Amino acid sequence: MIYLDSAATTLQKPRAVAQASAAAMGTLASPGRGGHAPAMRAADLIYDCRVEISKLLGVSDAAQIVFTSNATHGLNIAIRSLVSAGDRVVISGYEHNAVTRALRLSGADIDAAASPLFDSDAAYRAFAARLPGAKIAVCTHVSNVFGFVLPIHEIAAQCRRLGIPLVIDASQSAGVLDIDASRLDAAFIAMPGHKGLLGPQGTGVLVCGADSKPLMAGGTGSDSVSQEMPAYLPERLEAGTHNVCGIAGLLEGVRYVRRRGCNALRAHETALTRDLAGYLERVDALEVFSSEDASAQTGVLSVRHASVTCEALGEALGAAGVAVRAGLHCAPLAHSSAGTLETGTVRFSVSPFNTREEMRAAAKITNTALKKLMRD
Amino acid sequence: MQQQYYIMCRSLTYAQRAARALERRGITASVARAPQELTGAGCGYSLKVSARRFQDSLAALKSAGEPYGRLFRIEQNGTYTEVAG
Repeated sequence: MIYLDSAATTLQKPRAVAQASAAAMGTLASPGRGGHAPAMRAADLIYDCRVEISKLLGVSDAAQIVFTSNATHGLNIAIRSLVSAGDRVVISGYEHNAVTRALRLSGADIDAAASPLFDSDAAYRAFAARLPGAKIAVCTHVSNVFGFVLPIHEIAAQCRRLGIPLVIDASQSAGVLDIDASRLDAAFIAMPGHKGLLGPQGTGVLVCGADSKPLMAGGTGSDSVSQEMPAYLPERLEAGTHNVCGIAGLLEGVRYVRRRGCNALRAHETALTRDLAGYLERVDALEVFSSEDASAQTGVLSVRHASVTCEALGEALGAAGVAVRAGLHCAPLAHSSAGTLETGTVRFSVSPFNTREEMRAAAKITNTALKKLMRD
Repeated sequence: MQQQYYIMCRSLTYAQRAARALERRGITASVARAPQELTGAGCGYSLKVSARRFQDSLAALKSAGEPYGRLFRIEQNGTYTEVAG
């Protein structure tokens, strides 16, 4: 199997991730509850993970690192904290349903800044033009469909100038691009633990830079007499027992990312993506959504064929041992912006564990699969 | 046994953060659940430090900007006496 669906979840992880999760299962209890050794060990591990993540993301206070079950969970907390019905919210033209559906649920007036694919200047201009008078802004750092890197620093700077809280969806950038939360100064940054941070599924992180409203209420192991959620982070947003086994694995994933460094990981993924794009561009009738500017794209590459449907190609590739994702990738708005809403795309997405040989092989298998599908 | 003190913290995370701040200054403190009669608000956490390092701990926490709450001395008979910082 050549696994090229890391934009959904990174299947291949550092060995220490699974080892840590398995070890946690038998040794770590519920943090913030008992005062016994297994509970205190769990508490130490969770705090270590907060510290490691805060170092990776340039967050000065580990208490601002809130554990969630995924990026969607974090985005929902952020949106619930900031948005009231009728508020105008500016979003990029490349948002995931995790943003658009949560905004719809909140009753927001969604103002999408559509812009052409891989045109950073146009993306900034479209976004900035809508900001005056907006209540909040939400922007993905990287499109989950095309790997398009949005001009997040410029957008964040403009939001700061106008005093508009910004929520950043770092689902595709955490662990891949350098994120300096102190420089971005966003209200919230949400990310999964199971993609670029290489942790287990069921883990996520919300970096909190603004006042928050809990999405869930319950036990926190503190101030138990009060029937209100604590006013302080991270307990305010972490009701109930933590995913200790998941966080144990996430800690190892983040340590791996910090050891390798985001720049090295990004360079590896860029090289793979450029290779793959180069091979696929030679395949007849295959449209490859690749940026000429390598800095505008991460390790996510979408393609579509002139006559073979995306679902058919995705299925054929899966059967031939190449794991990709076909369709709309839960991001119809991104497809609408790029002009691929009617067809969808087949998405190849790489991780630190893919190789250049795999890119060559995946392209060859794609070519063979398409020939077969056109014959049948 | 050397006398010890409880430095009350608003939450487990704050207690951990404070313990790390002390550790960086060479002061050993353990994070411990606070006795319920001391928290006044149900479950809570504290730092447990030796009498010898108690004043140093408070100075270090102040200098690191780490917040802390009420302070208690653990008496030989197991009772607690609130003390000023």
